Amino acid sequence: MIDATIVLTIALMAGVTYLTRIGGYIVLRNRPLGVRATAVMAAAPGCVLISVIAPAFVSSHPADLIALAITLIAATRLSMLPTVLIGVFAAGLLRHLIG
Amino acid sequence: MLQSAEARADAPRSELRRGVASSGPVLLGTIPYALVLGAQATQKGLSALELSTMTGLNFAGGSEFAAIQLWTSPPHILLIVAVTFLVNSRHLLMGAALAPFLRDLPRRKAFPALFFLCDESWALGLADARRRAADGTVPAFSLPYYMGASLAVYATWVGFTTLGALLGPVLGDVEAYGFDMAFPAVFLVLMRGMWTGMAAARPWLVSLVVAALVYLFVPGAWYVAAGAASGLFAAWLMASDA
Repeated sequence: MIDATIVLTIALMAGVTYLTRIGGYIVLRNRPLGVRATAVMAAAPGCVLISVIAPAFVSSHPADLIALAITLIAATRLSMLPTVLIGVFAAGLLRHLIG
Repeated sequence: MLQSAEARADAPRSELRRGVASSGPVLLGTIPYALVLGAQATQKGLSALELSTMTGLNFAGGSEFAAIQLWTSPPHILLIVAVTFLVNSRHLLMGAALAPFLRDLPRRKAFPALFFLCDESWALGLADARRRAADGTVPAFSLPYYMGASLAVYATWVGFTTLGALLGPVLGDVEAYGFDMAFPAVFLVLMRGMWTGMAAARPWLVSLVVAALVYLFVPGAWYVAAGAASGLFAAWLMASDA
C-alpha cells in the first residue's frame, strides 16, 4: 500500500537529492567556490547529522547516556559494522540492567 | 606502457566488471547498514514498497537515515526534504570535483550517470580517473568502470534495505533490543569520515548544543533546523578566521 503524502515526500526527497548530484557539475565546474561558501558546504552534512541525533545526548535515561558514550568511543576507532554492533549491544544490555 | 595501451582499447564490458569488482569491500560495509535502515523504516510505519521506492529514487543513505529518524505519520514534508537537501549538499562539492573529468562526456550520458553519484562510486571513480590521468590513459574517466561500481552499490543498497523492511516486522520492537542506537552509531561513524580536525568540527559542536537545547525546551522537531542553521552560521563566521 502506498500513501499519497508519503509518495510526495519521497518524490521531493529524490528531486532535491538529484539536484545536489547535478548541481555541482553544472554550476561549479568552472567556478571555484568562495572561502566562506566552501566552509559552510564542508560543515553542512556534519551539522545536520549531529542535530538529528542531538536528543540522544540529553536523554533522561542513564542507560542510554552510557550506551551513547560507549558508541561514541567505538565510532572514533572502529568501522561501521563493529560500531553499530557495539552500540546496539550496549544499549540493549544497559537498558536491561539499569532500566 | 603496455598497461595504458591495453586500457586505451578497454572493452566496456571488462571495464564494467572492473568497477563491480572494486566496489566489493564497500558493499560488505553497506549491507548491515541497509538492513538496519529497512528494519527501522517498518517501525515508523513505512511499507517495504514505500521504503524501496525511497531508497531506489533517492539513493543516498545518510539522508534516508535522517528521514526515517524524523519520520512521523503523516510525515513532516518540509522538514524531511530540507534535511535531505542539507545532508546531501556534499554532492555539490563531489560533482564539482568530478566535473573536469566529465568534460568530454556528452550531457545525455553525464546526467544519467550522475543520478548514481554516491560517496562510494564518487571516491572509486575519482581515484580511478586520477590514476588513469597520471598514466596518460585517454579518456581518464572510464564511464563503464564508474557505472560498474555505481550499479553494484545501487543494487546492494536497494536490495538490502528492502530485505530489512521485509524482515523488520519479524524482529518486532527493535528499540527493546537497543537497535535504535544504530542511528547515532551510523551517524557518528559517518561524521568521523568527514573529520578534518578540531577547528573544522567547531560548527558541529555549535549544532549539537543548540539542537539539544531546542529539543529540551521547544516542542516539535524544530531542533534539527535550529541546530543545523546555527552550525552553518558558525561555519560562515569562522571561515574568516582562517
